[in-house]
Amino acid sequence: MKKIYLVIISLFILSQNLVANEQLILKEHFLNKINEVIVIVKNKTLDKELRNSKIVNTLTPMFDFTLMAKLSLGKKWKQLNNSNQDKFVKLYVERMKKSYSSKIDAYSDEKIEVTKIKQPKSARMELITNLVSKETKLEISYKFYKPKNLKMDKDSWLIYDVVILGVSILKTDKAQFTEFLQTKTIEELMIQLQSK
Amino acid sequence: MKNILFLSCTVFMLITITGCSSKVETSKKESFIKEEQNINSYEPIDKSSFNDEDEFLDSFGEELEIEKRSDPLSGYNRVMTNFNDGVFEYVLAPVARGYRTVVHKEIRTSVGNFFHNILYPIRLINNLLQGKVKNSADETGRFLINSTIGIFGLFDPAKSYFELEAHNEDFGQTLGFYGVGAGPHIVLPFFGPSNLRDTFSMYPDSLLNPIVYNDDRGYNLTNSYGESLLLQAYERVNYVSLHDGEYEKLKKDAVDLYPYLRDVYEQYREKQIKE
Repeated sequence: MKKIYLVIISLFILSQNLVANEQLILKEHFLNKINEVIVIVKNKTLDKELRNSKIVNTLTPMFDFTLMAKLSLGKKWKQLNNSNQDKFVKLYVERMKKSYSSKIDAYSDEKIEVTKIKQPKSARMELITNLVSKETKLEISYKFYKPKNLKMDKDSWLIYDVVILGVSILKTDKAQFTEFLQTKTIEELMIQLQSK
Repeated sequence: MKNILFLSCTVFMLITITGCSSKVETSKKESFIKEEQNINSYEPIDKSSFNDEDEFLDSFGEELEIEKRSDPLSGYNRVMTNFNDGVFEYVLAPVARGYRTVVHKEIRTSVGNFFHNILYPIRLINNLLQGKVKNSADETGRFLINSTIGIFGLFDPAKSYFELEAHNEDFGQTLGFYGVGAGPHIVLPFFGPSNLRDTFSMYPDSLLNPIVYNDDRGYNLTNSYGESLLLQAYERVNYVSLHDGEYEKLKKDAVDLYPYLRDVYEQYREKQIKE
């Protein structure tokens, strides 16, 4: 009987360790990526456009922009025909990359620290980070999920939402799009996205 | 019996060691996991892939549920959002830009510090009202240090040397802390996005605000309502000059400005209240 308890306890410890290990791997991978980006940002020989495209290329394997595009439309997504679905995803991804690039332009010597790792489900993780500059601290949380099947050119954990000071990019987009589509069509929304 | 103990110990050790081992090994492990996933992925092919995708997308549904916000004032709010946006673009931003080119950044930072320091009563009282004793002590420490060593709050040695962080709290957060809901969203002229709770809260906070002129109060930094307004406008210009381009950048992600700013504001406030 005692043996069984021991086995159960050791299995429990083992599983705890595996979970912690998975979190550490992701944290390390994330910080490595950030360091890669910082090296590119600090390389003053690159012109802005080349630099931004390099950064986007470095980060793209970590993001699932396609999923973000789908989720941002909520229930409407399923009502779109195939060609509109493709077009919307393309526009959304383009917009995301542009928005990210413009945010990188504001970068100046801030540091990123991971303050907490949450794992609400086995296939979901949240890295809570602080973007620390001389004057302020900005809390940014990155939400990851683990796809069942590994995707081409993608990491094993993918970001599907970024929450800046409590403001979720995905939620805000979803709310905007939902409200927009109450009175206007998906075509109009795409024209709007294209013009940005 | 001993054997099992030994076995479990070795297994435990092994796991711990591999957990701390070099990256080469972790990447090997990752690729192993990937392989395993690939093998597993062949199983559900007979099912309809559409259903799988639906189910997968639905699994995010709860998290991304948008709270139905009451918005009876949306018509007015839209107009006011455009008004504020115009004021920002054509008045505030150009003035701040001019100010920025004339006044050195160090000075503007100090001006910002000064205004922040002087608003200590608001932060103290609201931290106390929420029972945040440590934060109240931090704030008091900050006020004492910055008002003396920091020369009337122009500098922030409390943060740079004593590692005391500011804890911003206002009456809206205090009410939220005790469960008062946000109420309908209201866009205020010049002040921007707010809601019923936060608009009401501006009054108790203004009583604690030394910059705001108040006849019934013994102490006043300014001599009249006019002076007080001027000082507040100056504070705003100084703030914008230190946060150059932030609003413009935020605005770029908007498909429709009013609901976008509304949601950003409400989500941000919810987060502040939770903290």
